[in-house]
Amino acid sequence: MLVHVPGPWSPLFGRLTLDSIPYSNPIIIFAFAFSVIAGLLVLVPVVYYRKIGYLFREWLTTVDHKKIGIIYILLGLVMMFRGFVDGMMIRTQQVMADGPHSGGVLGAAHGYLPPEHFDQIYSSHGTLMIIFAVTPILTGLGNIIVPLQIGARDMAFPMMNAISLWLTTVGAMLVMASLFIGDFSTAGWVGLAPLTEVSYSPSVGVDYWLWAIQISSIGTTLNSINMIATIVGMRAPGMRWDRLPIFTWTTLSTNIIGLTSFPILGVALALLGADRYLGTHFFTAGLGGDLMLYTNLFWIWGHPEVYFLVLPAFGIISEVIPTFAEKPLFGYITMVAATFAIAGISWLVWLHHFFTMGAGPYVNTFFSVATMLVGIPTGVKVFNWVFTLYRGRLTFTAPMLWAVGALFLLLIGGVTGMMLAIPAVNYTVHNSVFVIAHFHCMVLLIAYSIFAATGYWFPKVFGFRLDERSGKAFFYTFSLGTAVLFIAMFALGFMGETRRLDYLYNTQWMPALVVEEIGIGFYTLSCYYFAKMLYVSIRDRVKNRVGADAWGTSRTLEWLTHSPVPFYNFAVTPQVNTRDELSWRYANKVADVQPDHFEAFHMPNNTVVPLLIGILGFGFGFGMVWRIWWMAGFSLLAIIAVVIYRSFARDKGYILTAEALAKLESANKPLGVVAETQYLSESNTSHMAEAEAH
Amino acid sequence: MQMNIVKDGKIPPLWHYGHEEHDVIGAKTFGFWLYMLSDALLFAGLFAAYGVLDHTMNAAGGPTESQVVHPIAATWQTFAVLSSVFAYSLATVALKRGNRAGVVLGMLAAIGLGVVFLGLELADFASLFHAGATPFTSGFLSAFFVLIASHGLHMVFGLLWMLVMLVQVLRFGFSTAVVAQLLNLRLFWQFQASVWVCVYVFVYLKGTI
Amino acid sequence: MIPSRHRRITLFSRPLLFLSALLLSGCSTVSYRLFHPADSIASVEWHYTIVDVVVMLLITLPITFMIALFMWRYSKKRNAAYDPNWSHSLGLELLMWGVPFIVVVVLGYYSYQSAMLVNPYAPTVLKSAEADAPLQVDVVTTDWQWVFIYPQQGIATIDDLVVPQGRAVNLRLTSTSVVNDFFIPQVAPMIDVMPGMRTKDAFEVNHAGNYEGYSADFSGAGFSWMQFSTRIVSPVDFDAWVKQTQASPAKLGYAQFRQLAQPTVNVGAKPAYFSGVDADLFNQVYNAALHGTVYPVPAEVPIPVPAKTAAAQAGSAHS
Repeated sequence: MLVHVPGPWSPLFGRLTLDSIPYSNPIIIFAFAFSVIAGLLVLVPVVYYRKIGYLFREWLTTVDHKKIGIIYILLGLVMMFRGFVDGMMIRTQQVMADGPHSGGVLGAAHGYLPPEHFDQIYSSHGTLMIIFAVTPILTGLGNIIVPLQIGARDMAFPMMNAISLWLTTVGAMLVMASLFIGDFSTAGWVGLAPLTEVSYSPSVGVDYWLWAIQISSIGTTLNSINMIATIVGMRAPGMRWDRLPIFTWTTLSTNIIGLTSFPILGVALALLGADRYLGTHFFTAGLGGDLMLYTNLFWIWGHPEVYFLVLPAFGIISEVIPTFAEKPLFGYITMVAATFAIAGISWLVWLHHFFTMGAGPYVNTFFSVATMLVGIPTGVKVFNWVFTLYRGRLTFTAPMLWAVGALFLLLIGGVTGMMLAIPAVNYTVHNSVFVIAHFHCMVLLIAYSIFAATGYWFPKVFGFRLDERSGKAFFYTFSLGTAVLFIAMFALGFMGETRRLDYLYNTQWMPALVVEEIGIGFYTLSCYYFAKMLYVSIRDRVKNRVGADAWGTSRTLEWLTHSPVPFYNFAVTPQVNTRDELSWRYANKVADVQPDHFEAFHMPNNTVVPLLIGILGFGFGFGMVWRIWWMAGFSLLAIIAVVIYRSFARDKGYILTAEALAKLESANKPLGVVAETQYLSESNTSHMAEAEAH
Repeated sequence: MQMNIVKDGKIPPLWHYGHEEHDVIGAKTFGFWLYMLSDALLFAGLFAAYGVLDHTMNAAGGPTESQVVHPIAATWQTFAVLSSVFAYSLATVALKRGNRAGVVLGMLAAIGLGVVFLGLELADFASLFHAGATPFTSGFLSAFFVLIASHGLHMVFGLLWMLVMLVQVLRFGFSTAVVAQLLNLRLFWQFQASVWVCVYVFVYLKGTI
Repeated sequence: MIPSRHRRITLFSRPLLFLSALLLSGCSTVSYRLFHPADSIASVEWHYTIVDVVVMLLITLPITFMIALFMWRYSKKRNAAYDPNWSHSLGLELLMWGVPFIVVVVLGYYSYQSAMLVNPYAPTVLKSAEADAPLQVDVVTTDWQWVFIYPQQGIATIDDLVVPQGRAVNLRLTSTSVVNDFFIPQVAPMIDVMPGMRTKDAFEVNHAGNYEGYSADFSGAGFSWMQFSTRIVSPVDFDAWVKQTQASPAKLGYAQFRQLAQPTVNVGAKPAYFSGVDADLFNQVYNAALHGTVYPVPAEVPIPVPAKTAAAQAGSAHS
């Protein structure tokens, strides 16, 4: 019944032994020390200033969509940094291990990483960047911005929102745990079948990868349900479909993709799990398994996932460019149509990830043309942005630079994508670093949008702007890194370098590899400017404080309420009269008109349940990875028990009364995410009666 | 075009005062429909895997579809699951009238029939295991067992949910939260029955042809 | 030998090739293998690469220019014309759906045309040049070596593919363990090599030459060392080579193959030659995979440090 795995196993600790901790590897010891120091840098001040209670009450148990969004983004940024370090290690290994004469250190024949270690790093680089960096950041942005853009007080299901967050965090924590306890998958972020089968990957690496993605994708699916329900059901009066801001539109389309594609990934991983744990034969080479079934299922999710990530990025560009061009977006309806066209076509193109499988020319041509079709709506979007610039009044703030930079990446990614879409061309560059360079253009486009969004909406959330000077330095160093690294990588693709090589046999590649390493240097420099940007911004926060509309030319509803946004978002729900509501209010000179009175409304209470489910989820994942059956079983049962217990709790939230609201609104101090507790305690808590059941 | 200044100087309302009526049951039901969409895709993935692996080649010399399906037994299972849905529908009718005893009785019947369904399924599995046809024999049998067991697992969760709701109906009566859950449970239960009908048609009936 | 269509291809490609060479900072393009395809199949692939890039540049270059121009022209400090309400134009919107549509139609046609020409299973580009019976080679990947079986000649090699010039080569490919990807950049299109499955590939080169081939799909710890040499030789030399190999003392039946298929990292792609090869070896390997045969993988595969001399040879193997 259960698959026998090599190595010791005990009922208490499963496969876990002291040898599972790679304490003899200096790189991992260094990474561990770095993580501990970084963790202490956060933890020590929290303890010293006695903020543990605050952290627990206001953040770990929060159901506020803005705080959840902030945690998502912080998680994503930390994971992005780790993913970047992985990328740096990959590049450094390749430049050190070029040619048979290249020396080896730290027990490697070439370079400084033995194959098993290198393979883990390239796998975790992809897994982290796609699943645990970009996805959480975009989810977090959607969480923060969408309810504000549609004039809602919170998400449709606030507690489920927190559960989504903690499940995603569990996945990230499992990947982190794999760094220090055991190992990570060596079979790539896509989980190449049948390399992921127990016969070829008997260690816990693939299990870490499998459960990290599986658990976090449950969180993503729940978040998609929540987002769609919010956008469909929670819009402010007058927010008709033809007035919905583009970022909200793209979030809607992206979550429809998420909702319908993540279950397919769930199936693929569950069947792989059945192979690895129970001994079934879904994806084995022999005994009736079909490894291409895995590849198909994975990419039936995997390609929509690409658009799951890129559509919100398009939405961000569509918000940032009009604000800094001081013009409405050109072709709103076309833009929405293009968004949904991309979302629809994304389901029909998965086979282009394996044109080399040996399918016939007609099948390949079908998927080739379907893939090219994506280029039509994408081209439309580019035209829309270009014509938004036309006759605008452009201000090149850091967010605008990122947004325009993303356009250039999209163009390069588009040209190379069209090359890859042609099977005959694909046969020469598939699985080469040309593909890597192509999709890094697209993923960097998403990263550029993320940085645009961070700068653009940061003042909305925290009440002060990010420092422009260091922000631009960050942009220029990062862009220099992008240009240098990926031009060299495209060149290497034409030279025939394939992907995932930990030793390179061809010494002619050396100059390009060195250029790539220089690109990494610029990226490292950009990390410094990123940190400096945060430091300077926080230092000068008083100077950079902003009002409701941080940019003065913003167009959408989120800029109508205070910056930072108070925990109840809008004291009175705005009545929406047109598309680009705020611009309309500016044009009619009513942007400053405040509500004349306040009315009580209902707010949800914070709850520890989501955090508890997260902790138990980690117990389940860790137990399954190490085959500690009692731990996994207990955690799973406990999750079910917690859910049932919660369904019996009659937690109705509380009523924020008109008086308390008036007091909060008149307080001449910044309200919002950072300062919630003190204002709640200042306001008369006796006003907050328990809400009645309906 | 949208930047138009209001011509007559009459600015329409800017703020929406008053308590917005939130349709709690409506929101929860919509959310649950979305969940079921994802569940439907999950089964679509499993059916696709089954379709791919349902070939003689994937049976790897082991038993093929026609040798493992027991359509007669599966017909009894179909009766059990459909009657369970019918019993739950009676409970919903009682819910409309606010008849607590009717709801409890209907749900008890639904639980009983659900248990019968699972019992029949386990018996079928046991006989297959006894005959040496296990999920570990071949790719085809892996898909066969995992598809049916995934549905079975959903049924187990449905029964667990019903037990919880039974207690909640007795304890809280028909509060908003309880009614919303009862309605969602109805959706869930009917959905699992329709998935079973698909299993019955695409696995058991197709296997006999 | 080359059909006329391909003469036009080279006419078309050459100036562009030169241009690309200039763009790439004046370096020699010798190391850019894809720029130097060897005959038929790879030339077609390279031709369509250029066609695709040219068509795409026709649309992306003007856009790039427009973005740059608008960024400069409509910058706030330049105080150019400002039209805060212009956000819709039916004509422009039709145009911006229409232009990409036409591009997709054109490229879709080229995609179909090229997919037929270089279809790995039956490339139509080879048919017109075809006269002799094609040479059959069976390709088997192990962890982590290439085994080339010549069933008609009864010989096999490791990491050394030798074929005659001017004769089509038909490949059947399968793997013992995990998925690899067969690729000779200047010669043959990439094709997956999968356990328990058979794929096909075909190519033909009209001039003698040495090319480097390798696996393009990650297959485990020894993947980075999965190179093989491809030697295109004259028919006379090929016959001589076959004779010589047929005299090789090492034999290869399935029993010996099982030993050979134990995980091995072949540093420097050192070749080996076998005679007396079972003509049905390919199918035996394929059937073994179908029956779940696993050639055990040790937990850690040591990567031997190459001796200086062997390393030097490997370094100069490609040219």
